[in-house]
Amino acid sequence: MRTRVRAGDQGAFGELFDAYARAVYNHAYRLTADWSTAEDVMASTFMEAWRLRDKVDPEGGSLRPWLLGIATNTARNQFRSNRRYRRAASAAAAAETAVPDHADEVAGRIDDRRRIATALTALAALRRPEREVITLCLGEGLDYEAAAEALGIPVGTVASRLSRARKKLRRTAAGNAAEKVRVNREGPRPVRQTRGDHAKAIRPAQEGNR
Amino acid sequence: MNANTPRDEQDAQLLSRTARDLPSGRHQFHKERLMAQIHEQVQQSRRDERTAAPAVPAAPAKARRLRLPRPAITLPAMAFGLSAVIVAGVVTLGGGDGVRESGVATGPALTTDIGTATTKGVPQLLDQISLAAAEGDHPTVRAGQYIYIESVLADTHVRTVDDRSSLVGQELHKRQMWESADGVEGWLIDPAVNDSSEGETLTLPDEQGNTPKAHLGSPSYDYLAKLTTDPDALLAKIYKETEGQGNTPDQQAFSTIGDLLSESYPPPELYSALFETAAKIPGVVVVDDAVDAAGRHGVAVARLDETSGQREEWIFDKKTHVYLGARNVQVKPLKEEGILIKPGTVNFTMAIKNRAVVDGMKETPSAPAPSQAG
Repeated sequence: MRTRVRAGDQGAFGELFDAYARAVYNHAYRLTADWSTAEDVMASTFMEAWRLRDKVDPEGGSLRPWLLGIATNTARNQFRSNRRYRRAASAAAAAETAVPDHADEVAGRIDDRRRIATALTALAALRRPEREVITLCLGEGLDYEAAAEALGIPVGTVASRLSRARKKLRRTAAGNAAEKVRVNREGPRPVRQTRGDHAKAIRPAQEGNR
Repeated sequence: MNANTPRDEQDAQLLSRTARDLPSGRHQFHKERLMAQIHEQVQQSRRDERTAAPAVPAAPAKARRLRLPRPAITLPAMAFGLSAVIVAGVVTLGGGDGVRESGVATGPALTTDIGTATTKGVPQLLDQISLAAAEGDHPTVRAGQYIYIESVLADTHVRTVDDRSSLVGQELHKRQMWESADGVEGWLIDPAVNDSSEGETLTLPDEQGNTPKAHLGSPSYDYLAKLTTDPDALLAKIYKETEGQGNTPDQQAFSTIGDLLSESYPPPELYSALFETAAKIPGVVVVDDAVDAAGRHGVAVARLDETSGQREEWIFDKKTHVYLGARNVQVKPLKEEGILIKPGTVNFTMAIKNRAVVDGMKETPSAPAPSQAG
């Protein structure tokens, strides 16, 4: 397959598309929080793959990591600022959960929407490089080497980003749970205190948070 | 290689179980389109080889910026995006790994002096702001008219090139947005976003025929006009509809109101009510001095997101209490990806330059629309 892709075999690209369009589409969605953007990213990814075909290493396994890497770069363009991603993610999460439950909508579908909303909200709490690693490794199940190949970064970097991202996800999940329990929004927040706080100017604000 | 502990399994499920199929017919549609484009390129490069064999220099990769359309872009815009890919494919073969830069120059991270925050006087200030807001000139928007918002903005973000991350600040740039009262039609000119200086359409529905419904996170003028102006009811609605979003419910409520104040033009009753609502959110502070993106000093109503150490500030004129703009300032150090985001870093800054109701898209209050006036 790699040889055929490098040679510009058009049929090979058709096969690639059939095999990986869905994976690229879903990966793009996690990175853009918008299904229609994800579709655009998916389409552009395969065109970009065609353009970059002679960069494919002749040796190696599946081309899926390579395609997901191109999709990551393409999606990165959509949301250069994390702020924009967060907005999109929260809008999408709201849209996924706000849709009225149709009588004919099966329970599984509603669960699916909830899961998507939860996932997007969690992803929005990450910085972009972390989000990219976590969607590749956990969303698409790439191992460290494949994710490193996809992103063009060292394996060690993948590992460290992933562990940081996981920690954050858990912290976010724990934080959300804690927030719901704490009805009056008071009390210490030991988990969230940043150590080494040098911004003295802001002290009064923190102390004064009710 | 991945150690699969039960917790990892949970994490993995969080993401992988969200997978969906492409909408029906779209797989085949995109496949045919891809094959047609590849075919076309092959033909084109054969023609090129015949005509201008030696004369193709290594074209500058930078000159050709590939950008994808933003969300909610119509089919023609998408076709444009794809045809741009084709052209670029010919020009910049081997021109990089697909990472592209925005259309706005970047420089060092933006910084500022952090103003002093206090909870003292928050209700009084918001009261004054609310009163000023009620007096403001807010014409109603008729069907067929558009809301026009002109702003200047810039942000600071982590840029990663070849695994080396650095903090860069965007050059301050102008942004113009038009939106119909129902939120369905729109146009955006923002060099940080657009491919072309003409801007791009925000008109809905998208290529799948979906007309997204206006909601709190993406409101149209019509939606805002129908929103309750009772602060308690409004606050309850905000908490309910943003549940689970953002770092904390309070911060998310504050940000939601902040977004309604910035690139939108709420009717006066609601505009005024938004400030009364904000006054009810715990943790809101007054910052004695803040500068908007246009360099105007003012007083800010702000809230610290304790998770990220970032303070969101809404900036008002000290005397008239008119809304000037907003910014997001790092007030506690945050280390991410080996990059330290120091206190005083301006993560985002924006100033509203003009808000108006105009009769046509791409029409500004001072100049009629280029082609489609009225």
